[in-house]
Amino acid sequence: MRRETVLNIVLALGLLAVPLAAQAMGEPFIVTLATKVAILALAGVGLNIALGLGGMVSLGHAAFFGIGGYTMAVLAAPVQAYEPLMTWPFELSGTKSMPVIWLAAMVAGALGALAIGALSLRTSGVYFIMITLAFGQMLYYFAISWPAYGGEDGISIYVRNGFPGLNTLDPIQFFALAYGVLMAALMVSWMLARSGFGLALAGARQNPARSAALGIRPYSVKLTAFVISGAMTALAGALFADLNRFVSPSMLNWQTSGEIMVLVILGGVARLFGPVAGAALFILLEHWLGGFSEYWKLFLGLALLGIVLFARGGLIGTLAGREVAHD
Amino acid sequence: MSLMLLIEQALNGLQYGVMLFLMAAGLTLVFGVMGLINLAHGSLYMIGAFACAAVAAATGNFWLGLAASLAAAAAAGALMELTVIRRLYARDHLDQVLATFALILVFSEGTRWVFGSFPLYLDIPRALAGPVRLPGGIDYPLYRLVLIGVGLSVAAGLFWLIGRTRLGIRIRAGEADREMIGALGVDISRLYTIVFALGAALAGLAGALVGALQSVQVGMGEPVLILAFVVIVIGGIGSIKGALVGAILVGMTDTLGRFLLPIAFSTFMERSQAMSVGAALASMLIYILMALVLVVRPGGLFGRA
Amino acid sequence: MTEPVLEVRDLHRAFGALKATDGVSLSLRRSEIHALIGPNGAGKSTLIGLIAGNLKPDAGQVLLNGRDVTQADVAARARAGLARSFQVSAVAADLTVLQNVVLAVQGARGQSFRFFRPALANADLRAAAEAHIARAGLSGRRAIPAGDLAHGERRRLELAMALALAPRVFVLDEPMAGMGPDGAREMTALLDDLRHEAPILLVEHDMDAVFALADRVSVLVSGRIIASGTVAEIRADAEVQRAYLGEERLE
Repeated sequence: MRRETVLNIVLALGLLAVPLAAQAMGEPFIVTLATKVAILALAGVGLNIALGLGGMVSLGHAAFFGIGGYTMAVLAAPVQAYEPLMTWPFELSGTKSMPVIWLAAMVAGALGALAIGALSLRTSGVYFIMITLAFGQMLYYFAISWPAYGGEDGISIYVRNGFPGLNTLDPIQFFALAYGVLMAALMVSWMLARSGFGLALAGARQNPARSAALGIRPYSVKLTAFVISGAMTALAGALFADLNRFVSPSMLNWQTSGEIMVLVILGGVARLFGPVAGAALFILLEHWLGGFSEYWKLFLGLALLGIVLFARGGLIGTLAGREVAHD
Repeated sequence: MSLMLLIEQALNGLQYGVMLFLMAAGLTLVFGVMGLINLAHGSLYMIGAFACAAVAAATGNFWLGLAASLAAAAAAGALMELTVIRRLYARDHLDQVLATFALILVFSEGTRWVFGSFPLYLDIPRALAGPVRLPGGIDYPLYRLVLIGVGLSVAAGLFWLIGRTRLGIRIRAGEADREMIGALGVDISRLYTIVFALGAALAGLAGALVGALQSVQVGMGEPVLILAFVVIVIGGIGSIKGALVGAILVGMTDTLGRFLLPIAFSTFMERSQAMSVGAALASMLIYILMALVLVVRPGGLFGRA
Repeated sequence: MTEPVLEVRDLHRAFGALKATDGVSLSLRRSEIHALIGPNGAGKSTLIGLIAGNLKPDAGQVLLNGRDVTQADVAARARAGLARSFQVSAVAADLTVLQNVVLAVQGARGQSFRFFRPALANADLRAAAEAHIARAGLSGRRAIPAGDLAHGERRRLELAMALALAPRVFVLDEPMAGMGPDGAREMTALLDDLRHEAPILLVEHDMDAVFALADRVSVLVSGRIIASGTVAEIRADAEVQRAYLGEERLE
């Protein structure tokens, strides 16, 4: 077995074992932290489809994360206020059901990614980075100035949304849900990378001109990947909002984009479990460094600088070596 | 009355635009010459503002503060280039994004550590305080007028520098062909440091000048940085002329949009609703402008191809 | 006489004041190798770009099997059977030889939007790819990343990928470039065999190969075709000799 595979299994089991042990020892806070790791990792798995597989350096994924979060709030807020979601052109009520919310979040994220991607992919390189960053910022300002959904203050959802057959208010059960979604997303990402589409995407990333001469439109292939990526990150956003029972424009902030990207890189770009390792490391650092300094992000910045300049390949790259699958 | 208000807003837009130009000029030079995307350019803006506020507070002299902002930002820029940035020229854009994102964290948290989380305040120098009467009877703040003048002078100076001086020739040569200028015997690494420090000084200047209008606080640089990106996308990478036109376009569109859209909406909407819809749409206007430019000219208005 | 497989009619393309393609017409008939030669800067790359669809002409038409494809993009022309190889070996360097060719096969079949089935587990795709790899003489190298191949091997990989498009027309841009004498000889034999699969528009600097293979030769100078005919006719053409020997500086 390749070292990376072993590492992946260790990560998957570790992320499961830590909260179970914490639950047994009566430490619900650690369970919540593990849930946060799972959800941020999910956002990273989404970004990694664009970044790792498609080579699209998107600094605007907070847009999709936020779209997911706001989709949750928009659907759930009317229920807690005993109002319909809308009355025109037809009456529709909100929902507190997670599966419905997840589906809506993914559709909204996909549509957002389609619009942003269709424009941004007309360019490449630094332009693409700046444009995705700018469109993300546009949604941030829109959320701040649009008063219907809380403006700068955001919206609180007082009771966590429900999932059939589970008590989502119980931390360990909500963790199980987030973990299950993460594993499903990793499965999708794994299949995508090996599929015919994944091959076409690799071709479009490495050599767009050659791909076109083979009858493959790089623009369409990349845009499709960007849409899938946006949908997955939006799903993470919906879960993140449910974890906090709160959404605010800060989910849409450029720093959120930066942090999702950082955790992908910390783990290792284009590595299947890179975002999981990265998210775990990120949350650990936040807690460990945050414990002895209010300015822990200074040290995070220095650590990140060191990793980029000297330890390329991220955590998984460092531990598993630079071998790449060629099966 | 309404026309005077409009002229005042247009001047505000121009002032906003020329300050954006100071940010965008440095960024676009660094893109053009070194092919580097620098997210930490906003940190240099912040450093300029903090240096000016701190020195002005200590000495009671705005002009000493302004000199300090130029010196501090240029020094920080040169240091940044020498320690981190030069290792990134040969790297891909992803590494550049990450390393400069890390620099933002370092600079922001470092500044918070030194100065605390509360904003500093920087007063407009006494000589420039108060309004001035423009032809047509408009009272307009003198300080803002001076900012417009400073911004346009810097723009003229940059055009001269790039177009007429030896340094400018080298910069243009560097944009065209990196190996070529090495062959011509130009010390490239020194050229890069100088260009980077020059861009940093412009960002620091903008931070200090705008700092007197707004509060000086950690995180002030990044929203301006993102706007500067919008400017560059609109103007075209590497083009100083594009940066100037793009910056004024963005400044005007944003300022006039915020002023006019609520008024326009209130002609057919209930007033409070028009205000909120107008404000929300106005906040998106420059990004819509950017999207339009992308559809029509993906390389920007003055971009190459 | 049969209708030409590829036909270019009065193609024009200018870059500013430079007329890179200035009224070019040429045709490619079944089973034929039509060589396009000309000094550097004659406009060969522009012409290939126009034929492949990377560039749009200012005027004129490109017909593939009698169908006007002037407005079609690169991918559409590729799926219509136009296979090109690149002057600079341009394959996806991180992908293996097999992955590159599978990519070409699925591109040609319009099967690039299959999201779940692993590409290499598709026996049909894989068998087709293996056959093309064998034809190009790369069977022993199928698991090697394309970036690690030697130069001549990359040209072969280019060819295997072009074959995978089940082409109606090959447009080959300097397939011999950078090959040693042995490699060039093998490639010449391979191309001679390929013409029965689909006719070849061959851009090549290696005159030995051109004279050995071509049924017809067209000479492009300053964006115009100054001569067109059999190898013997071209060899005897005074204008061609002048263009090659005397006035190349004017380019």
